[in-house]
Amino acid sequence: MPDPTRRALGGPGVVLVVVYGLLALAATGRSVLQILGYYDRAPLAYTLSALAAVVYLLATWCLVRGGRWVRIGVWACTIELVGVLVVGTASFLVPDAFPDKTVWSHFGQGYGFVPLVLPVLGLLWFRKVERDAAAAEHADSAAVG
Amino acid sequence: MIEPLTYVVVGLACVLLVASAYYAVKDRLVDDRLLAVVGLVELGVLVMLVLGLVGLGHVTDSTEKATFVAYLVSLPVIPLGTAFLAIKEKSRWAMGSVAVGAFAVAVMAVRLQQIWNSYA
Repeated sequence: MPDPTRRALGGPGVVLVVVYGLLALAATGRSVLQILGYYDRAPLAYTLSALAAVVYLLATWCLVRGGRWVRIGVWACTIELVGVLVVGTASFLVPDAFPDKTVWSHFGQGYGFVPLVLPVLGLLWFRKVERDAAAAEHADSAAVG
Repeated sequence: MIEPLTYVVVGLACVLLVASAYYAVKDRLVDDRLLAVVGLVELGVLVMLVLGLVGLGHVTDSTEKATFVAYLVSLPVIPLGTAFLAIKEKSRWAMGSVAVGAFAVAVMAVRLQQIWNSYA
């Protein structure tokens, strides 16, 4: 049962779903090609690409479903934010490990820095959904009491 | 890939981008006129899909070929998906998602043409 108090798709959520969906599509497509085509060239970078793709797919799913997925979505966005910051920094410090562009290298430069901004927006949005749901529950219990 | 067709698709996607952004700002919901533009964009990318698949032999590198096909196949999904969300969601934010989708269509169409041109 979808939880109407934790609907993540309404309002700004619908824009996030599209952006997340597109990024998930791009990251998945690219990482499948990299791993099947020339994995040996940069195993670390390509494994991280695949991880990024999975997390983007997960976050997209959490936005669509809402409800109890909201909490998992918060984790997905947190992993994305840590990932883009760590990989972004590493790609500048150890460029040899990232000979090919990935979603997260250089803070998502190849994708217009969307990967850097998106997890922040995602976290803000999920937090708002959580807070609205908590407020609704509080109002309910106050009305009963 | 026929270059003028790419320009037409990019032009239509830009029209859709501006129109849906305008709708979002003005808080207007999706209507038949906007859906007609979505339909034209969709038609354009479907023609691209057919022409691209027919002329696939032009792109010889296997990795680039895979990218090319992935773009071709993904493109028609975007206008349909965002228009579906806009009909279902009925909010100004949904018009924003149509705008984001239109932008993605324009960028991907240009990328397709770039891949194609690199094999001239």
